[in-house]
Amino acid sequence: MAMEEAREAVGDYKEGWHDPEHSTIRFDSGLSEEVVRKISKIKNEPEWMTEVRVKAYHHFVNRPMPGFGDREALEGIDFDKVCYYLRSSDATEKDWGDVPEDIRNTFDRLGIPEAEQKWLSGVTAQYESEAVYHSIREDLESQGVIFLDMDSGLREHPELVKKYFCSVVPYQDNKFSALNTAVWSGGSFIYVPKGVSVEMPVQAYFRINAKNMGQFERTLIVADEGSSIHYVEGCTAPTYSTDSLHSAVVELIAHEGAHIRYSTIQNWSANVYNLVTKRGIAHKDATIEWIDGNIGSKLTMKYPAVILKGEGSHAEVISVAYAGKGQHQDAGAKIHHLASNTTSKILSKSISKDGGRGSYRGMVTVSPKAENCKLNVVCDALILDDGSQTDTYPTMEVANPSARCEHEASVSKVSDDQVFYLMSRGHSEEEALAMIVNGFFEPFTRELPMEYAVELNKLMALEMEGSIG
Amino acid sequence: MGVSEELYLSLDEPPTSDHLWRYTPWKKIHPTGNFREIPENVGSPKINLSHVDGTPVEGVTLEASEEVEVPFEGSPTTDSFLMTVTKGNSLVLSIPGKWTSEKPLLIDIETNGGVEALHMHILAGDLSEATILTRISGPCEWLGLLRTAETGKGSIVTDILVNKTQGGSLMRVDAVRAGRDSTITSGTVSAGSQRTKADIRYLLDSPGSSLNVLGSLLSAEKMHLDHHIEISHTAPHTYSRLEWHTACGGASTSVGTGMLRIEKGAKKADAGQIFHNLLLSKKASANSIPELEVEENDVVGCGHGTANGPVDESQRFYLMARGFSKQESEDALIAAFLNSTLTEMGGEGVHSWLISAVEDALVNLNG
Repeated sequence: MAMEEAREAVGDYKEGWHDPEHSTIRFDSGLSEEVVRKISKIKNEPEWMTEVRVKAYHHFVNRPMPGFGDREALEGIDFDKVCYYLRSSDATEKDWGDVPEDIRNTFDRLGIPEAEQKWLSGVTAQYESEAVYHSIREDLESQGVIFLDMDSGLREHPELVKKYFCSVVPYQDNKFSALNTAVWSGGSFIYVPKGVSVEMPVQAYFRINAKNMGQFERTLIVADEGSSIHYVEGCTAPTYSTDSLHSAVVELIAHEGAHIRYSTIQNWSANVYNLVTKRGIAHKDATIEWIDGNIGSKLTMKYPAVILKGEGSHAEVISVAYAGKGQHQDAGAKIHHLASNTTSKILSKSISKDGGRGSYRGMVTVSPKAENCKLNVVCDALILDDGSQTDTYPTMEVANPSARCEHEASVSKVSDDQVFYLMSRGHSEEEALAMIVNGFFEPFTRELPMEYAVELNKLMALEMEGSIG
Repeated sequence: MGVSEELYLSLDEPPTSDHLWRYTPWKKIHPTGNFREIPENVGSPKINLSHVDGTPVEGVTLEASEEVEVPFEGSPTTDSFLMTVTKGNSLVLSIPGKWTSEKPLLIDIETNGGVEALHMHILAGDLSEATILTRISGPCEWLGLLRTAETGKGSIVTDILVNKTQGGSLMRVDAVRAGRDSTITSGTVSAGSQRTKADIRYLLDSPGSSLNVLGSLLSAEKMHLDHHIEISHTAPHTYSRLEWHTACGGASTSVGTGMLRIEKGAKKADAGQIFHNLLLSKKASANSIPELEVEENDVVGCGHGTANGPVDESQRFYLMARGFSKQESEDALIAAFLNSTLTEMGGEGVHSWLISAVEDALVNLNG
């Protein structure tokens, strides 16, 4: 692909613009129990949710920062400077025409309405703390598929939400899951009834626009027996000199024979802390797949996890990370084999460039009662220049002798032979490098919807600009 | 109060969130379990140096020494603690430059059953060639073993530690610094100690140095074997390989953590690590954490791998089809699994000696 084409397509972090702040409610910066209760009150939530939020807040306050990852960067987060709630629109609209104009323009520039027309079953668009647009195809609604923003989900299906909320990621799990539980706003709630297969993906798009903003969406997906769904999530933010905080929690429940695929392409600007907890529970013969692309952000700490609770369940995590200047991508995966005949696969690819640091941090465990489990972990890393760094921290705990577990990792640089071969076919050195990098990411991009894969290839081509010499 | 003691007492007890202490907390390997306590009247095990065939050694000396510094920084907690408890129990094994012998050296360390500690420092002169077999045996309550080594330019050193102590705890720290163009083969054969916490570190800070780390561990009954192996490449054109085989039987726990660090400037470094665990019993568990940190982009290659699994069914079937019983087939496969690293530790003589040293433990492993 020609560099000009890539430049034209994506610019210099093309999502880096920001609109004038548009708020109907904006809280002052800082966090307290009062702020937590106020968020709950504004949303008119049931008492139990308020109580969970308050408990989570106290846990967050008392819980120390994680003892792993980029501790220095984590200590740089000033929780008192973060705005924990900002509402940009009074309602979640079902028609793009009703969304405030500047917000609509933002999503137009991001290509969301166009994608919705072409290849999506439903869309949620979140701007700051709340969803501003939401729709689902009528045929899916008539089959009983629930696809709502999380706040509407709590209002309209309180029993379902109460049953599953915090059941996969309790607020005590870690400091940032506690923070999210205390101040969550927005996100998606999906319930797919028994035997229903949602053929086209549903998408959520999360946009941070304001300075020093904290976005804490909460997503809960329940796929009932024999159902299937593909959820696609995209994230961007403007480039500011001050930091923003994105701390989401995603909970997936795949009942017997269900299949959930959760694809993420995050392309945060370099001032965003992205500290996310994602975890799914797979019951008997169910499958959960995390397809996770991490580009941008100042620090990402994200380890999509699957608990293989039911016999015959399967998990797959395919992730790529690109760590550029001033960025640390600390990403990985966790899989816990609790039941017999469960299988899992982790494929992680990372590229470090311009002083960036890419880390794989993973854990796989096999419990004593889980017979005949099989798991395979592969981590490949490319370091493209001097001053960049890559790390691998895998943990494997096996307590059943019938398990077959494999892990392998390799670190290399782009081979001169490959570059020479492509240049001898008429490509410039930069183009050759971009092609090799896209080839390196290919096991990931082939799992994405085509539009996402094309966009990712363009992004990577652009990132490779200036790599030579 | 010495510098080491002062340093130790100024430290906090390491938390289990620290990678090094995750599976074996400090209090579990401390002689009394009380972090603040430094045991008094620490004994010294009996030491004997000879060739492996029992003949006396000429040219190489093993002498008591004043406190010898650890050649490079490792874990401050274990380093300062072992430096404190080995005070007065330091020995230096000096191998002169260009010294060579076809017969391996044997250092016999015999424990007496109390709280004992020893600091052994190995100095291998330039262009020397030596094979050093260290055997620890005897009844043991707690043994603190600090092993430090510096190899001279162009030296070729094989250093193998065989642990055959009867029960008790072993706290072991190795700090080995490789000289320019030197070649080190470092082996660990473990068939003793109820509880082992080993922190084994290598520093390749001279160009052209080469390191091969091998482990054959037999983990049986209620043993808890925790080995952390850290290899740091800081100089260009350095090479390292690690192959660590553990057979886990009974209700034992084995932990193998590796840290392979390629620092900036270690151009053309070539490094790889493999951890293999053979699980033989339903109550046994194996934990592997082979970590990798690479700051240099111009590397030949860096990688690691780990594999855990039971005895291979098809291999066992093959042997049974040839007339072996199920037990015999499994025993043969376990022996072969451990033997694959034992054979790499030295020539035929060293290999036979190692086999004879561990064969009784092999018999008990799959019983």
